[in-house]
Amino acid sequence: MSSSSADRASYAAREEEKAKLAEWDPEKNTLEPSEVAADPGKKPVGHSSKYLRKEDFDCIKTLGTGTFARVWLAKIANASSGTGVAAKKNNNGDTASGAGNNAANRVFALKILRKVDVIRLKQVEHVRNERNVLAAVAGHPFITTMIASFQDNDTLYMLLDYCPGGEVFSYLRRARRFNEQTSQFYAAEIVLILEFLHEKEGVAYRDLKPENILIDAEGHLKLVDFGFAKKIEDRETYTLCGTPEYLAPEVIRNTGHGMAVDWWAFGILIYEFLVGQPPFWDQNPMKIYEQIVEGKVRYPSAMSNDARDIIGGLCTVDVTKRLGNVKGGAATVKEHPWFRNIDWDAVYHRKMQGPIVPHLRSADDTRNFDDYDAEPVHRDPYTKELYSKYDHMFADF
Amino acid sequence: MSLPSDYRNEISALDREVKKQQPDDILQFCATFFQRRLESQRAEFRLSQRHANTPGMPASNFPGSNPFGNTAAAAGMASVAEEEEHDITSPTSASGPFSPTANNANPARNMDNNSSGGGGAFGNFGNFGFGAPASSRGQDPPASVSAGAMDHPQSFPSNYNMNRRTSVSAESLAPASADDANWKAPYYAKTPDQVARLRTAVSHNFLFSHLDDEQSAQVLGALQERKVPAKDVRVIEQGDAGDYFYVVEQGTFDIYVSSTGKAEAGPAGLGNKVATNGPGTSFGELALMYNAPRAATVVSTEPSVLWQLDRVTFRRIVMDSAFQRRRMYESFLEEVPLLKDLTSYERSKIADALETSKYPAGSTIITEGDVGDKFYMLESGEADAYKRGVDQPVKHYKKGDYFGELALLEDQPRAASVMSTSEVKVATLGKDGFQRLLGPVENIMRRDDPRKLEDSVDPLR
Repeated sequence: MSSSSADRASYAAREEEKAKLAEWDPEKNTLEPSEVAADPGKKPVGHSSKYLRKEDFDCIKTLGTGTFARVWLAKIANASSGTGVAAKKNNNGDTASGAGNNAANRVFALKILRKVDVIRLKQVEHVRNERNVLAAVAGHPFITTMIASFQDNDTLYMLLDYCPGGEVFSYLRRARRFNEQTSQFYAAEIVLILEFLHEKEGVAYRDLKPENILIDAEGHLKLVDFGFAKKIEDRETYTLCGTPEYLAPEVIRNTGHGMAVDWWAFGILIYEFLVGQPPFWDQNPMKIYEQIVEGKVRYPSAMSNDARDIIGGLCTVDVTKRLGNVKGGAATVKEHPWFRNIDWDAVYHRKMQGPIVPHLRSADDTRNFDDYDAEPVHRDPYTKELYSKYDHMFADF
Repeated sequence: MSLPSDYRNEISALDREVKKQQPDDILQFCATFFQRRLESQRAEFRLSQRHANTPGMPASNFPGSNPFGNTAAAAGMASVAEEEEHDITSPTSASGPFSPTANNANPARNMDNNSSGGGGAFGNFGNFGFGAPASSRGQDPPASVSAGAMDHPQSFPSNYNMNRRTSVSAESLAPASADDANWKAPYYAKTPDQVARLRTAVSHNFLFSHLDDEQSAQVLGALQERKVPAKDVRVIEQGDAGDYFYVVEQGTFDIYVSSTGKAEAGPAGLGNKVATNGPGTSFGELALMYNAPRAATVVSTEPSVLWQLDRVTFRRIVMDSAFQRRRMYESFLEEVPLLKDLTSYERSKIADALETSKYPAGSTIITEGDVGDKFYMLESGEADAYKRGVDQPVKHYKKGDYFGELALLEDQPRAASVMSTSEVKVATLGKDGFQRLLGPVENIMRRDDPRKLEDSVDPLR
């Protein structure tokens, strides 16, 4: 008896969560900075759900894969039946205001991680960091919103907002390079992200690159993949992580690193925007690292002096001299002459028109994402031994 | 009849903009909005056309959907495109030992983006970084030459990999904590000759050249002998996980690279022989950074002897000594009354600005009357302070003591001279470095003054 009433209660709670998801609207839920910084437990987004399940979602298409994660475009399963006639009438993908807000049209990005892979690749700590950081920053206008996280016996799930514009990486490779104004616009939004992560949250992101920056429906950026993000307490950290071309010298040398690594990577990013490839490159990764620790950046002759100066300031091997890490922090970057035409307040409030505004047929349009191979059929089992040894580490996921 | 969805999307986007911007002149706003949409759509269309025609190598500057964009600026960047091929060689020059053809993708990258199709297998050469005497350098295919002399000004300036780049990470390393404080680097005894040979063998390698004497001694001590009993032993196999770095002590090894990215079965499965390595060379150095698939297969040609070192041991040695040095610096800083108001985050930051220097016994470290700009903390050894006209030392310094801290405050002449009485190691903190990171010390000292609270520089609090 008691178990069936518990079932009923949990069924009700689950339905309620699904209903909330159906109403969730990224436009309306961009939080004010003070709300973002609020206790994660009190925010409308970013919680760990005890009720949501894989079956609540239909996975439509793979949006991206990593070494141990796969991100799917997902919709709420069987949604239209619950929302009645209005939903059926409106089934052509309208996401916008008014009557279009219904469960059938809600799209999400569902990031799925198999516990066994997370353990095998020794990424347990990183995955925990990722969930916790995303929960803490949920609601920031330029960071992917984790609406909820949940898990089942062998899998972890993060329900994220879907950014239909795809990766800045794809646009950059197609365009080969961005002109200075486009680079400035994107760089400006990134500065605000780093300022927020570093100075409000104390978080180092540690994997800045065009592949991890998406474009949303309005042409603004969303930073995704917080797999290496870490809250830096009072002390430096040591685990090597990032992307070869973007690693800071102190990471390579293993002398301890902190948030300054993001400013280094930001310099590399601006360079790659303007030039089309990062400043340090070789076929042999060890040769890349050798160039990085030496830190001599060479610029194309036509690059503007301001651009050279900001890249040089950011890509400074000595962290005590690196722009962004010196006294004043992000404000010193914002004051740099390269950004002199940027109205920071307008950027923050998304008032600037982005240089690329994706053209979409519908809310679930995936034309801006590449196709990925199907998921491998073989999966390592999450054994009882693994479960008893590791599952407690996922307890609060 | 329902309205077309494209139309509804445009209208709802316009709705959003109107709500957000709340324009006075509605009609002008709407007209401008659609004008911009049209520009943007056309630009995106042209972009995707180019993309379709020349996958991976579209040559153009950025599309005109840019609202600030104007053709003059765009043309400016186009000229960059043409000049840079001649201008930049360094970032593009491939100096890897076997730099293969253009636009290769390593297998890991293909995992990340299977749609990229062009999955050459040469990528990860570095997992196989070579030691210095390796003669293969001279045999480089002329990749760097082609970068400098592009036959077409708009082709990509090098064989830069255009695919998505995979993130890398090493084992999570936490510094010696309470439960693990007894970790000691393994030590394998070696003759002085062997140590000298090893030192030479790794001296060119930047991972080793940055080490200080103590770290270097620990790392060399941790290299473990490995006997290879016969010829045809595969020490590492292309495509396998990489955990160890090797130095050749005796014997020679053939290096093979297979175009498939891993060693295949069959007689030619190892691929082409690209080099032969003898004593004093090293290989597999990328394994000291993180686990990436091996980029080549290494096979013994005779019974041989190697020295091997695993990644966790190497990184642990470097990390532990860095960690301990930082904690020592921070504890020095904690002792200084002038800096008592620093938060622990600030102390940790300041530790970046400390530099170590050594003085033999009898050196004058600071001279009375000079204007000082550095603050000194004694890491080891002892020193005395003297004042002019006083025969006896006025003060004695030992490990953990500090002097010259007023130099952080103002440009005042040193009040005394300090001479080392034994060999000493000092950590110095320059006024410049301090001010760059935290601003003037005066402001820090004024922090207990409530009127100055807004000056707090700690971003975490």
